[in-house]
Parts: sequence; structure tokens; C-alpha cells
Amino acid sequence: MPLDQKAAGRTPRRLLTSLAAGERRRLGLAVLAGSVAALLIIAQMALLAWLVSRLLVAGDELASLAAPFLALAGIQLLKGVALYAQETLAQAASRDIRARLRAELLDHLAALGPVRLASRHSASLANQLVEQVEVLDGYFSRFVPQLRLAVLSPLLILCLVAWLDWLAALFLLLAAPLIPLFMALVGMGAERLNRDQFAAVARLSGHFIDRVRGITTLQLFGRRAAATEEVQAAADDYRRRSMRTLRVAFLSSAVLEFFSAVAIAVVAIYVGFGLLGYITYGPSPELTLFTGLLVLLLAPEFFQPLRTLSQHYHDRAAALGAAEGLVGLLEETPDPVRRQAADSPVGESLVELEGASVTYPGRGRVLGPLSLCLAPGEVLVVTGPSGAGKSTLLQLLAGFVGPGSGRRRLAPGIGLAWMDQRPLLVQGSLAENLRLACPEASRAQMHRALVRAGLGELLAALPEGLDATLSERGVGLSGGQAQRLALARVFLSQAPLVLLDEPTASLDADSEACLVEVLAELAGEGRTLVIATHHPALMALGTRRLVLEAGQAEEGDHAPHG
Amino acid sequence: MRHMAEHHSLIATLGPWFKLLGRRRTRLAVGAALMGLTLLSAIGLLALSGWFITATGLTGLLLAAGVAVSLEVYVPGGGIRLFAVSRTLSRYLERLYNHDTVLRLLADLRARLFAALSGLDGHALSRRRASDWLNRLTADIDTLDSLYLRLLAPAVVGLLALLGLAAFLALWSPTVGLASGAWLLLGWLWVTLGQARLGMAASRRQVDDLEALRARLIEQLQGLAELEAYGGLAEHRRRLATIEARLYRDQRRLGALVALGNALAGLFVGGGALLALWLAAGAWEAGRLSGPLMVMMPLAMLAMSEALAALPAAFTWLGATRGAAERLNALEARSREPVAADARTAPPPGPLSVALSAVTLRYPGALTPALSELSFTLAPGERLALCGASGAGKSSVAGLLLRQLLPDAGRITLGGQALGDWPEAALRERVTALTQRSDLFDDSLAANLRLAAPEAGDGELWQALAWVELDGWADSLPAGLATRVGEGGRQLSGGQARRLALARLWLRDPDLVLLDEPFAGLDAETVAALAPRLDAWLTGRSVIYLVHQLGVGPFDPPGVERQLTLVEGRLREA
Repeated sequence: MPLDQKAAGRTPRRLLTSLAAGERRRLGLAVLAGSVAALLIIAQMALLAWLVSRLLVAGDELASLAAPFLALAGIQLLKGVALYAQETLAQAASRDIRARLRAELLDHLAALGPVRLASRHSASLANQLVEQVEVLDGYFSRFVPQLRLAVLSPLLILCLVAWLDWLAALFLLLAAPLIPLFMALVGMGAERLNRDQFAAVARLSGHFIDRVRGITTLQLFGRRAAATEEVQAAADDYRRRSMRTLRVAFLSSAVLEFFSAVAIAVVAIYVGFGLLGYITYGPSPELTLFTGLLVLLLAPEFFQPLRTLSQHYHDRAAALGAAEGLVGLLEETPDPVRRQAADSPVGESLVELEGASVTYPGRGRVLGPLSLCLAPGEVLVVTGPSGAGKSTLLQLLAGFVGPGSGRRRLAPGIGLAWMDQRPLLVQGSLAENLRLACPEASRAQMHRALVRAGLGELLAALPEGLDATLSERGVGLSGGQAQRLALARVFLSQAPLVLLDEPTASLDADSEACLVEVLAELAGEGRTLVIATHHPALMALGTRRLVLEAGQAEEGDHAPHG
Repeated sequence: MRHMAEHHSLIATLGPWFKLLGRRRTRLAVGAALMGLTLLSAIGLLALSGWFITATGLTGLLLAAGVAVSLEVYVPGGGIRLFAVSRTLSRYLERLYNHDTVLRLLADLRARLFAALSGLDGHALSRRRASDWLNRLTADIDTLDSLYLRLLAPAVVGLLALLGLAAFLALWSPTVGLASGAWLLLGWLWVTLGQARLGMAASRRQVDDLEALRARLIEQLQGLAELEAYGGLAEHRRRLATIEARLYRDQRRLGALVALGNALAGLFVGGGALLALWLAAGAWEAGRLSGPLMVMMPLAMLAMSEALAALPAAFTWLGATRGAAERLNALEARSREPVAADARTAPPPGPLSVALSAVTLRYPGALTPALSELSFTLAPGERLALCGASGAGKSSVAGLLLRQLLPDAGRITLGGQALGDWPEAALRERVTALTQRSDLFDDSLAANLRLAAPEAGDGELWQALAWVELDGWADSLPAGLATRVGEGGRQLSGGQARRLALARLWLRDPDLVLLDEPFAGLDAETVAALAPRLDAWLTGRSVIYLVHQLGVGPFDPPGVERQLTLVEGRLREA
């Protein structure tokens, strides 16, 4: 089931759990390999203590112990293999989880659509899909398997130590239950702080891309130094936030360090005094150099999985912080009206609005209620002062927003062509940029479309022609050229409904005249055009005209003047 | 550029950043010392405990056999407790202190890089995209942060610790000290240099691939309208998938390498302990070593695992740090320092004259020059309209006059003084431009206006808004001047953004004004109201309009005295 459908009532924790569930098998195998490694470590330590005991107590000759020495080397080799398996299995699980999550997020963004995303910082969103999904890696590849191992491996060791000397086991046991308690307390604080830090990182990246994008303006206003200081201040603020998080986050590992160090010290002193015969209570009189040394060697290993877990605790806090942002994104439910298949119009018309209105949170109703019918071949010119809702009308017709009230009806199976004031240029060849509109277009068709959009001269001047790459080698297009490339896409697409938002914003009169001509041609092909514009030449092209004032149609349908 | 970078050695690439680290030498040394102390405590704790247990065990056996011996237990007992406490304390302090250091370095780095970016010329700026920059500013610097905390300090401290341990063991048994020291050194070389070499190419690519992924994503997010309308989303998703596949393939390789490094680090430590025990036992049999010391040696080796544990992962990823450093180096190399203020070159006050003589400008890689041997003059206070189609060279002229581009040939003077000699601050104060794209920042209305006049009070800002007839609209907003305008001003309509940019102009008092299509995107009514105001404000200043053409009625900018037309980088003959 897609994540966004399950998003209701979802918490970051639940998101992570459900993601991990998808890779249960491989994560389980990783834990198994880790447990084998833990057993081999115990065997290694036992053999080491046994060798010392044979040498010092039993008086065996070194030469006679070559075989156990070799066995110990073999055990270490096997342990290495087991650890390798544990790590690579968990990594594979994490990779697949991240790939799946990224795909789901992309689907979700597509469902939300361009208008809903316009209010979000695209760099912050990209950051969420790239960095914040990557941040989950540590959680799945390290923390999740280690969480199980941190229970299993100390338990194994505890059993062995209890069998050797229950009093020593008691010392370990006394220290151990306190650890999860402390870690939980500390972890809770760290989690909240980590969330704050993630917000700070997102703000920081937003701040940066914004300042960088406008760097020319900053240069022109002589604000280089001031902006640099601002950047430093933002980074300093980030440092202070981070330190607040880290001060607490490091406490959890310090608590563990403390218990592990103290437990080793206590065990060492207990065993030492026991061996000297100073302690006559309980199992102490039975202590030997072998059991004493083995208990000492196992004491750090008892805490090691927990220490490793605490190192990865940061991964968990980071993952929860990232997941929170992702849940916030997934919880933003797509406009259900927008995603519904539009009804077909009753009559011949291509697209119909019936009492349709658009409302944005915080801005109130920006358009409508409005009724409109567009028949094939019509050219509707939309005019009105800036901010009157011209763009919103086009977005509504395109289906980027759903009508808050009323109806939008669209003839079944019709394609759309769209062009606005910020044309999309993808990194790649001219041809790739054109194929966005029509993947199966032939080179001749693309060539013709460029010529019709007034880019023929540019194309002729490029030795690579259609294969010339944009945004490399200085072949980047100017604003006007980018606009014309977007127009070429309109021409190339066979879409019957063409929506143009200020298409002449940066064209000169010659190009504009040429454009008007080609648009007329398009209309002649039977395509339906909706043009938001101020320019008289384009207005003259209209077969109908709609004047918007504060979201309302001030003048209804009527023929253009002159 | 990539090809050239291959020839730069690792040291040369990281050199400037080592130098930057050097400025905080003391902090770094203290941090490393704390790291060393932590390691020392860990080794000491386990080694001393092993010694103690063996000594007590052997003494206990003798006592049981009725031999009268005694063992001093309080000094080793105290030592064990001391190591236990110092290990905890130094670890906590070390981590806190070092992270603070790193974040301080990061703040410095971010500011340094932003300063470098703001010194880039128009060529460099136009050829880079905002998403690349974001990556440069955050990810690259974040990657470089691993230089000290993840690479340099642990490697150096680990090396010193293993040499120190070998020397310490050699005090009791030179054979054990030398052999285990050599063995551990081999391990250290593998987990640092060996891992770095094997992981170099793949980890260097990671940054590029993440950057490519991010760039493609931003493309998709910003162009979603067109992609959705044309049904081009699936095709774009395929592009993303290709990058992702490459990313994951390298991650698999790197992950396997790290796992191998970790397993080998464990083997080196465990094998070292085994080696130490074997040699120490030999020395013990020969009577050169006591039993407790013999046990102490392998235990001290086992504790060395703390010194090597973090190194394989950090060094496998060295390529990422290297790649980041390479790109930052390339960026910094292109940056220009601003021309400093100089009293001798202070230009005369009043409206500025402009003179271009035989100016040629060529964009790197372009087929034809953007401007060829262009010459024209502007008298002080004159209003000139420079006409031409898009791509004719108008923006290049503006870029030259604003010193964002440098001419390949020819001479430009402002107020009779060579443009290159103008102090940066004076140039920015006296020359103002309304560019084709009005940059608005994701900040409040007030902050966007104050960009032009940092000292302006709210009253002045309202006046500026009234001047472009935005005061009524701003007043109707719940947050008023504090309303945020969104990324690139997206919360505003195109016309509102343009008027805000005009209001910003009004807040300044320049002597030369460059206006690129001042009324673009505005409706006729607004233009009718604004044109006379603009006309009055421009009086007494030199003005160059950059327009497609004149004669478009009310959209013509006010008060044009002279007109020049650019065609493909040359003036059209009158």
C-alpha cells in the first residue's frame, strides 16, 4: 500500500517501523550473523584465558600449545567473516529501504502537484528527498540490527559469567538495567533537540540557496560583506543549536562509558581480591586464574554492544528527525478534487468551469466563482491587473488545483500544453528539453518546432544542433530564448488545449509578431488557446476575452474590441 | 577540469584546508590530547586489570601452597579506579570540545565560501545553477568537516597510541614491543592508506551523484507544471532512476569495503594480541618476563581496538572529502577581491557620464562575441534607450557597466574615470540597476526593501511602497511589512514582484541608473500611474534603458532623449 495512503495518524516512529518491516528477512540474517560473531568472541576470550592458565598455572610448555594458538587464529578469522556478513546484509537492507521510500516520496510529490509545491522551498524539498532519506541509512544499516544484538550478546555473556561466578555476574547485572533507563531518559531529550536541529538545517539550506540565487542582486546593492556576515551568523546559530543537541546526546554515551568502565574496575578488583583469598563469601573461593581472567575479558565485551548501540543512537535520533519531516510531507494529503478524473462536459466543449472557485489557505478565495465553456478552436484571452487571478484560472483549467467549490469538466483523454513565466530547462541537450513535451518527436519535428518558435538562427549557429547541451560550455540560453524553447515545446506537443501564462513576457516586437502568427496557426489547427496577457497584439488574437478583477470575471464573454 | 584535477595530488588538494585548520592549532591540539587521554585510559584500564588479576592469582596460589608472600594491592586498585573515571570524563569532554571546534570551523568555512561566491563574475554566476551552489555551500563543506574530526585526529592519535604502546611494551620485552608494534603499524597503514586508496574513486563519485540527483530533483520540483501538463514526469523519473542506480552501486562497493576494513581491523587487533601472547610467553619461559606482565601485553593489545575501530569507515570515504575540496578550490580560484576604496580615485559627484570605446566581450565557448568593438557615450543627466532583441547584447552592456563582466578588449569609463579603478563601495552606491529578473529573497517585505537601504525606517519603506502603489495591498496583509514573500518572491504575482523591485530602486540615490524593461509584466493602468513618478525620480540622474524596442505607447519608458539599437553585439547604423 502506498505510504501516503497510510499516512493518516502516522508518527515518525511508525514510519521507520513499517519501513524496517519491509526488509525483515535481511535484517534478521544480519542479527544472526552478529550473534554468531558474539559467540566467536566468547570462544576467543575463553581460549585466551585458558592459554594463560595453561602456561602460568598448569606449567605447559609454549611449544605444546601451538594447536590452540592456531585454533584461536581460526576463530578470529571466522569472527571477521561473520562481522562482514552482518554489515553487508544490513547495508543491503538499508539501500533497498531508501530506494523504495524515495520512489514513494516522488509519487507523493507528483500527486500534490505544482501549485501545492509552489509554496515550498524546492531546495528544502530536494534536501528532504536526497539528504534526509540518506540520513536514514545509519538507522537501518547500523541501529536496527545493533538494537537486537545489544540484547542478545550481553545476555549470552551474562549466562556464561553467571555460570563461572554468579557474584561477578551480579555486578554486571546491576550495572546493565540502569543503562537502558538512563539512555531512554537521555535519548528522549536528544530526540526533541534533534528535531529542532533538523528544522535549523532546513532553514539554513533555504537561507543559503536564496542568498546564492540572488547573489547578483546582492553584488549590485553592494551587500557582499553584509550578506557574508549574515551567512556566518546563520552558521553560528546552527553551531549553537547543534551544541545544545550534542551536549545532551553525548551524555548518553558518557553514562554508558561510566558504567562500563566502573564495572570492569569492580570486576577486576573483586576477582583480584577473591584470588588472594580475601573474599570468602559465595563463589569467590572457587575463583581460578582461568575463570577470573575470563570474567575480566568478558566484562568489556558485555558492554561493547551497548556502547556500539549508543554510538548509533545518534543515527536513530537523526532518522526520527528526518522521518518527522518526511511524515509531515506525506501527511499533506493531495487535493482529492484535483486527483479525481474530471467529468466530461455535457456538450461539445473541451473544458468547462461551472461556478468554480479556488481558495488558498491564508489568502482566502483568489478566484471565482466562475463559469466558463471553451469550445475547440477558441482563443480565450484573459486580462486583468496583476494579482487578479489570471494564473490561478490557468492552473485551475490545467488541473494543477482543484475547484474548491463548483465543477471543472474536461473532455476525456485530451492533452495539455503549458507555458508560464518560468520555463523549465533541464540539464541536457536541446533535444532532451524538447522531448519533455513529446517523447517520440522526430528530429525533423523538433527542428521545425524550434524554427517556428524563433530559435532557428540559434539552432543554425550551433555546430551540435539539437544535441547542443544547455548550461554547459556557455551555451546557456537567455531569458527570452528559454521562453521560446518553452514555446517550441508547445508547438511540438499535439495537445488540443494550450495554456499560456504571459508568453511574451520577454520577447521583442519581431518575435512577438512571429509568435502571434504561430499561435494563430495553432488556433487554425483547431487547438484551443487560453492566454493570460497584457499585450495588445496577443489580445487581438482572441476570439473571446475575459477580464478578471480580484478573482471575479468583471466582463463576461464578449468579442474583443476592434 | 576533471581531467586537470587528476593531476593535483591529494596533499595539494587538501593543502588550503589544512592551512585553514592550522589557524585553530591550539584547539585542535587540545582536542587531540583529549582523544589520546581517552585511549590511554582505555588501554590502561584493561592492561592494569589483567596484570592485577594475574598477580593476585599467582600470589593466591603461592599463599594456598603455604608460601609467605605479599602483594601490594592498593596502588594497582587505585590505578584501576582512576583509569575508569578518567576514561569516562575525557571521552565526554573530548567529544563535546571537538564537535564545537568542528562547528566553528564550519561557520568559518561557510562564510569564506560565500564571500568567494559573491566575488564571482557574471560568466561564472550565469553558468552555475542555484542547486549546484546549495550543494557547494552545505554538502561540500559538511564533507570537508570530516577532515579533522573523522580523519586527521583519529589517525594521528591512533598512530601515536600504537607507537607509544609498542615503546611501552619494548621497555619490558623489546621483541614483543617491536613485533606487535610492526604488526599494528601494518594494520594502521591498511585501515588508513589502503582503505582510502580502494575507496577513492567510488567515494569521490558519491558527492557528484548526490549533487546530480539533487539538481534533477530541483528541476522536477520547479518545472512540475510543464512536466505534468506534457506528461513528461515518467521520463524525468527515469533520469532520476539512472542517477540513483549509480549511487547505490557505489554505495554497495563502499559498504563492502568498510565492512572488510572493519573485519580486518578486528583481525589486526586480535592477531596482535595473539602474537603478543606468543612472544611474551616465550620471554616468560626464558625467565625474562614475569607472569602478570606476560598477561598484560595481549590485553593492552586488545584495548587498541578502540584506536582503529573508526578508521576504516572514515578513510574509505576519503574520496568524498577530496572531491569536495577540489570543487571548493576551483570555485575559490575564480573569485575576485573587490576593488578597495582609495581616496585618490574618488570620482566627481553628480550625474555620471559613460563612455565605451571599442569594447569587445566574448563569453567562454561562445561562437561569436557578445559585443564587438562597441562604442557609445552618455552625457551626464542624459537618458539613453538601448534597444535590441533578446540576445542582442543589452544585458552584456549592463553587465559590463556594473562590472559584473570584464571586457576582453576596449575601454569603459564612468564619470571620466576608468571603470576598473572605481572602488567597489562607491560604484555600488552610485550605480543602481533594475535587472531583467528581479531577485526577491525568501524573507519579509521589509527585509527585501531594506536590501537597498539598510538604514531605512518603516515610514520610508511605506513611502517606497506607496510610490509603486503597493501600499494598499501591503496594508491589507495581516502581517504587513513582515509578510514573507516566499522563495524567489513566489507568493507574489509577477507584477507585484516587479513593483517591489522598483520600490527598492526608489530607496536609493544613484547617479547612474540602468533599467532593463522597467515595466515588464505590469498592466497598463499601473504603468500609467508609475511612469510620471519614475520620470520625476530620474531627473538629475544619468539613465540607460534596456528595452526591446520603443514605440509601444504607454509601455515606453519616460523621457528618452536618444536611442541606440544593438543588433548581434554591434550598433545598428542610424
